[in-house]
Amino acid sequence: MPPQGGDVLLQTLIAPQSLFKYQSGRVIALGRVILATLFMLAVWLDPSEPVSAVAGTYSLLALYALSAIAIAAVTWRNWWLDARLAVPTHAADMAVFTAIVFSSNGTTSPFFLFFVLPLLSAAIRWSWRETALTATVLVLLYMMAGLLIAGTGTFELERFIIRAGNLLILSLLLIWFGIHQIRTNLFFRTEEFETGLGVRDNPLARAVGLATQITGASAGALVVGAIGEEPCDGFSVIGEKHRSFSVDRALVRDTAPAAFLYDVGRDRAVTRPPQGRFHFASAYDLLDFDEAHRLGLGIGLASEVKTSTQHGWLLLWDIPELSTDFIDLARELGRAASFVLDRHALFAAIENGAAARTRLSLARDVHDSIVQFLAGAAFRIEALKRSAGSGNAINAELDELKRLLLEEQGEIRGFVLALRRDRDIDLTEAVAELRALAERLSQQWSVDCRITANGARASIPIRLQLDLQQLLREAVANAVRHGGADRIDVALGVDGDRLQLNVADNGSGFAKGKGQRVTEPWSLKERVERANGSMRLVSSPGSTNITISLPLAGAAA
Amino acid sequence: MTRVLLVDDHPMIGAALEMLLRESDYELLERARTASEATKQIANLKPDLLLLDVHLPDASGLEVLRRLNKSRGRPKVILLTAGMDEAQLLVAAELAPEGMVLKTSDPGLLIGCMDTVVGGGRWIDPEIAERTRHAEDRAASAPPLTRRERELIELVRQGLRNRDIAAELGVTEGTVKVYLHAIFDKLRVENRTELALKAAELIRR
Repeated sequence: MPPQGGDVLLQTLIAPQSLFKYQSGRVIALGRVILATLFMLAVWLDPSEPVSAVAGTYSLLALYALSAIAIAAVTWRNWWLDARLAVPTHAADMAVFTAIVFSSNGTTSPFFLFFVLPLLSAAIRWSWRETALTATVLVLLYMMAGLLIAGTGTFELERFIIRAGNLLILSLLLIWFGIHQIRTNLFFRTEEFETGLGVRDNPLARAVGLATQITGASAGALVVGAIGEEPCDGFSVIGEKHRSFSVDRALVRDTAPAAFLYDVGRDRAVTRPPQGRFHFASAYDLLDFDEAHRLGLGIGLASEVKTSTQHGWLLLWDIPELSTDFIDLARELGRAASFVLDRHALFAAIENGAAARTRLSLARDVHDSIVQFLAGAAFRIEALKRSAGSGNAINAELDELKRLLLEEQGEIRGFVLALRRDRDIDLTEAVAELRALAERLSQQWSVDCRITANGARASIPIRLQLDLQQLLREAVANAVRHGGADRIDVALGVDGDRLQLNVADNGSGFAKGKGQRVTEPWSLKERVERANGSMRLVSSPGSTNITISLPLAGAAA
Repeated sequence: MTRVLLVDDHPMIGAALEMLLRESDYELLERARTASEATKQIANLKPDLLLLDVHLPDASGLEVLRRLNKSRGRPKVILLTAGMDEAQLLVAAELAPEGMVLKTSDPGLLIGCMDTVVGGGRWIDPEIAERTRHAEDRAASAPPLTRRERELIELVRQGLRNRDIAAELGVTEGTVKVYLHAIFDKLRVENRTELALKAAELIRR
């Protein structure tokens, strides 16, 4: 389809805007060129200016205008030069300002413009601190220049004081502009809430906590639901009270804009699209008042929260000094909340993935173990059949086979229980399960395997429980196969955020002999590494000691 | 009497075979649980027949067979397995043991296989034979390994980390990762541990 007349016009209008979008360097450079040229023209047209050093002023202005053009030309498409020249040109701008104050102090002096340029460029380029510094330096320079020419014929005290006052007001405005930008740029400073978000934290609580902290709101709530469904699961913080709740109906109506301020009592709401005009609405049209009253909503802000899988609303109220600037802030808070939810979902997915991998490897082991056992049982039955055929008594053998079958049944039940569990368990519960496993392993390998625990309390995630059981199986099998051990002592303890497992046996160890290096049991090592843990092996004939340290949380890898 | 050495680490299988052979023409000399134990006992006991499990805790039973093939006058070998993957099947076929038996098949087949092998014949479980044919067909269509890839596999086998491999080969760690993934794809393995395990068999092909 060919572009229509209206589109072409729109494109033409938008073109200059895109020339300066994200180009504050260009704006400043072009501003300098226009300013220098206009000033030169103004001084030339005004017969009363310059009041002193005529030749010097004209050469300075000409030089300044030329360098302004040169700087604009070289930095137009060169971000590196733009950054490199920022500070020197800033200093030059201030120097020129001082010179102009000296040379043109008459009633018509347009020096004020030269004050605006460095100040505005500092506010655009840097933070409020640099703006404040620039303003202070400029005002001081102005004062000094004023004092130096005080007493000369051209000095007018009244005008000097009024101008100083104007400079101060302008400075304060621009400094405020810089501070204000920090608040609306919140989304780009997410590091502070990235840290410390664990998979077991409630992401809704974290997001609400963050939003109330930034705005100073004493109440806040976040309601979310899966995309395509009504947001219904919520978490609220009202004063010191934290609670999870659910709503029956959508708290915020479908027609609501992405960010708005509301006053439920006066039935008012206001919104503003980014860089747009205010739109006024009735709060009732945007909020379900029944749910709003139930939650205790008064005057506050609402912001849409959209993650890859969820959709919902962040509501804050009882905010001191609520203003229309909070509409922009609300939008950023919505993004910050989405970020927290997405990040948490990512952690949870990684953790679940790790648990699934452990389950899979466990299932593979179960399969292998069952196949071997059943094959063995079939061989034994074949042997019994042949033995019975030759007229031998087979009762004792049958009893033994029955015992083995029952034992294997217990083993399989343990495996399946571990596979099916879907919640964290307490350390004491995990130790009890490990003891039962140790008993079975003792019988299976004809060894004495004992578990001791230091009595600490900790919550053990599913993946870690599965890992622990497999580690015990492998450690026992290794001790018997490689070292011929008959006594294995396992100690379990919690040290900070790590689980410590110590396996000591009385076997011949992993040391191959004098001068040879200890070979680490690779299957054990691999399992430990997969759980982001570490392993240390001390082996000598007659004793082998393996110390395994596993992280209790965030072990997913 | 045929003198038999069993190499298998699973306690149930060991006890069962002991019973099964008790009143037969076979004398079960000893039971080795690891590949290194097996090597020692073969040298000491000089059995006529070896019942060799493929999965052993310290090495693959196929490695044991490979070493035996290189020595003079090895005993006859029957591979016992609960299941082999494609790579192992191909290696097993190349190493040509006298017999191959699936642990999951009828135990009566094992005695039959032993009789055939001792009588100078060869007996391969039909299921294993079928799967080997499939594996050979697929292997014929798989891309071959390059010299560089073989070098890299050898370094992985030595337990080197990517950083060390990169230093050894004079490439970046990123390049090593790219190579590794190409190898994983070609050999149909999931990770470096699996690669290191299978490499022992695959690299010689």
